[in-house]
Amino acid sequence: MVGLNSIATGLRRTALIPAVFLLLTIILAGWHNNRRPRAIALLPSLTNQPEYCLSCHQDLPEISRSHPFQAFGCVLCHGGERLSLEADLAHRSMRGGRNPSDLTVAQDSCGGSNCHTGEAAQERNHVQRVLTSVQATYAGAIANLRYSFGAQPDLTARMGIFAIRDEHIQTPTGLPGLEAFAPENETNPGIQAFAQNCLNCHLSAEPLPGEETSRLTGCAACHSLTAGDDLDQPLHSLTLKIPYTQCNTCHNRGNYDLRNMHFVPRSDKPQDRLHDYYQPIAQFVRCEWTLDCIDCHTRYEIMGDGDLHSNQREIRYIQCRTCHGTLDELPLTRTITDPEDLALRMSFLNPVIDLGGGDTVLVSSRGEPLWNTRRLADGSYELFGKASGQRFTFRAVKGSACQQNTAEQESRYCHECHAVER
Amino acid sequence: MSATQSRDSSEKQASIQVARGQGTTRRGFLSLMTKGMVYLSGLLGLRGLISFLVYDSGPTTQTRINLGASSNYPPGTRTLVAEANAILISQEGGVLALSLICPHLGCLVGETPDGFTCPCHGSRFDRSGGLIRGPARQSMVRLEIEVDRDGNLILSMA
Amino acid sequence: MRPSFYHHLHPPTIPSPQARFRYTLGAGGISVYLTLVLLVTGILEMYYYVPTPEGATHSIQTLTFLVPYGGLVRNLHYWAAQGLMVSVLVHLLRVIWTGGYAPPRRFNYLLGVLLLVVIVLLDFTGYVLRWDEGVRWALVAGTNLLKTVPLLGNDLYILAVGGDQTGPATLVRFYAWHVFGLTLLLVVLAIWHLFRIRRDGGIAVPPPELRRDPRRITRFELARREGTAAIVASGVLILLATFIPAPLAQSIDPSNLATTETQAPWFFLWVQQLLKLGSPFLWGVLLPLGLIVILGLIPYILPLARPAELGTWFPQGNRSAQAMILILLLGILLLSLLAWLG
Repeated sequence: MVGLNSIATGLRRTALIPAVFLLLTIILAGWHNNRRPRAIALLPSLTNQPEYCLSCHQDLPEISRSHPFQAFGCVLCHGGERLSLEADLAHRSMRGGRNPSDLTVAQDSCGGSNCHTGEAAQERNHVQRVLTSVQATYAGAIANLRYSFGAQPDLTARMGIFAIRDEHIQTPTGLPGLEAFAPENETNPGIQAFAQNCLNCHLSAEPLPGEETSRLTGCAACHSLTAGDDLDQPLHSLTLKIPYTQCNTCHNRGNYDLRNMHFVPRSDKPQDRLHDYYQPIAQFVRCEWTLDCIDCHTRYEIMGDGDLHSNQREIRYIQCRTCHGTLDELPLTRTITDPEDLALRMSFLNPVIDLGGGDTVLVSSRGEPLWNTRRLADGSYELFGKASGQRFTFRAVKGSACQQNTAEQESRYCHECHAVER
Repeated sequence: MSATQSRDSSEKQASIQVARGQGTTRRGFLSLMTKGMVYLSGLLGLRGLISFLVYDSGPTTQTRINLGASSNYPPGTRTLVAEANAILISQEGGVLALSLICPHLGCLVGETPDGFTCPCHGSRFDRSGGLIRGPARQSMVRLEIEVDRDGNLILSMA
Repeated sequence: MRPSFYHHLHPPTIPSPQARFRYTLGAGGISVYLTLVLLVTGILEMYYYVPTPEGATHSIQTLTFLVPYGGLVRNLHYWAAQGLMVSVLVHLLRVIWTGGYAPPRRFNYLLGVLLLVVIVLLDFTGYVLRWDEGVRWALVAGTNLLKTVPLLGNDLYILAVGGDQTGPATLVRFYAWHVFGLTLLLVVLAIWHLFRIRRDGGIAVPPPELRRDPRRITRFELARREGTAAIVASGVLILLATFIPAPLAQSIDPSNLATTETQAPWFFLWVQQLLKLGSPFLWGVLLPLGLIVILGLIPYILPLARPAELGTWFPQGNRSAQAMILILLLGILLLSLLAWLG
């Protein structure tokens, strides 16, 4: 008892306990300091600013061959705090959450004069074109519906999913601007029901639940392949090889019932490509279900030509004659001479075909090169599937046994002979 | 003797006695221990302080430069690579990259008809960077060049 | 042992009852120690901090995440600063509630009030140096308050902000004030304040013939107690700094027009609450200034403690001052709570 007492007095007199306390806190601080994730620096050559995202995200795959992380890094596209090793702070200023290609932030993430918001003349204005495209504005569906229910006097579009202006109008059907479609200002119950049930398929829409319709928003809606996948799985991939299944996350999903204003999904269970490709409503020519959508439909058709249009009919212009010509004329072509030719750039980015100077490619009536095609020495043509890489050869109509009427060039006329029984 | 003085002397006594293998007073021992803890804390803190002060954030410019196809540099040409402060000398036997940073004290050397001269203190080098004379004690540094799989020359600045 | 310089800063002996932690709470001494911690950690931070709008958050993030023990240095600086704010307020309360400001200590009390103002300004200027979204609107609102001062308002604003709106010039000025101007003022006032303690006869005590307990402690014992307090304070600071990091948000983005973080720093919450009542000049400038003036006038206007009562808590003589400071304290706490709750 006496011994304990004097130990206590002695301890009080020597500040031993505070000293032990101090030592323990210093050791604790040192241990805590070493528990942080090891800092892994990346110095992207395009920014020359070190970033530390790899400290936690080292096992993310390269997003695409055209966006190597050694050049781009992560922050150039995603935003975020490049120096933070703490997740909350690091992710706070990220653009678009997990998807920087969402249309609300695409201009900042994907933009840049050498990237995707550059000059139209150099075909570098993808973001501007997508923002005005019908797939983004949904202007056609909205205009049609409002006209049908008497909310507007004609089919010229006045509203889109978001408000947008376009000062440079290049085509006869281009519009100067669209307002934002505001269901709360609509009085007609039909239009209100439309807003409730039918706005699931534009580039800013969250997809319907289910694996067949799983798709991201913005640029990733097409360029990140998600069809048939679980959207909660992290996906870090951009591609130009877009198969028809990705388009079918929105297209060919069913029909609108305009009387009840809801969507009736297709109910067939297709077993092969012929039956899976399109809805069971019509007959199609062989190339229409053998090739992928992007093998025919051009960049202007899908991503827009830079003008606001009232309807997809104003922008969709590819025809059978684009590749096959007519009885009187061979299809339009162009021989590549310019080393910066768009066809050469595209075939470099998606090397299903090795184009070179002097090759002759098909072109559309608006001058877009069908860069996955080439005229062969014997006068026939070859085409490579952009997603599959498969090679096809074909002949022009001119000089063949085709019995077409040269004045009737819409696809339904070609279907009359060439469509396949399903 | 005041409390402090008696504690000091008992500490001294304690350490002497401990050194001699004898016992020591309780107060002296505890006092010694306290001082020890504080000094130990101080040493650990000093270690942390030094790590803090010598932190190096790493390079903020690229250390490898792609110079393009090696066919752009045919033998007999001398090409200045400004971003690396270097000169690329292409000869029959291969390509040589000389750093234009004077090995003496770091000024950039200038080219002359028969080699290189440093304007700061007068060091002289021959056309392949070999030391002729001058306060510099070594020849001009040769930088590493590799050829990558596409046939491009890659210069390492480090 | 021969007394060192540090020992000589203290009187040879001081009365034992008033030397107890129970009496002074060590609040003044802890304030001195925390100031030292702030000076040292502040200088270390200057190795890495960059006072430009682009460089500020990046340099702080580099310091916090990448520099070895950088986060610890920053957090120590932050917690020492908030701790200093609390310890000087405790010291103020202690001085008033023990009546220790009676003559000849009235001037030293005024020095203390000035020190309080300088410390609040140091806390605010340091807070702004983060230059992140969390401080953005506090800076705008706070500097706009200057504009409300009649006649001098616009000049005061330009003096503080360096332009017609907050920007790079503001950051450089706040940095200069925080690191040099206010620090110099703090050190000068603090040394004067400490000198006056000795000149005025040390901790306020009754005259020798009225003292009940004649015991005294030596300067060595006093220094030892200060050392123990410093060690404990260091340990507590390190614990806080290790487990509760100083706040940091993303850099101020002038193109981001949404006002997200709108809470004032904790020591100005009471002012933020007052500003909801109306005129910014009245509630945001006059009233706080008036409060400082009232604080300063306490020893001159209100009754003082009698000499026999000095050296004890809650002497009878200056009860009115004690009550007033209690009411002010409760009022400020209540306002702060209301502002914090929303």
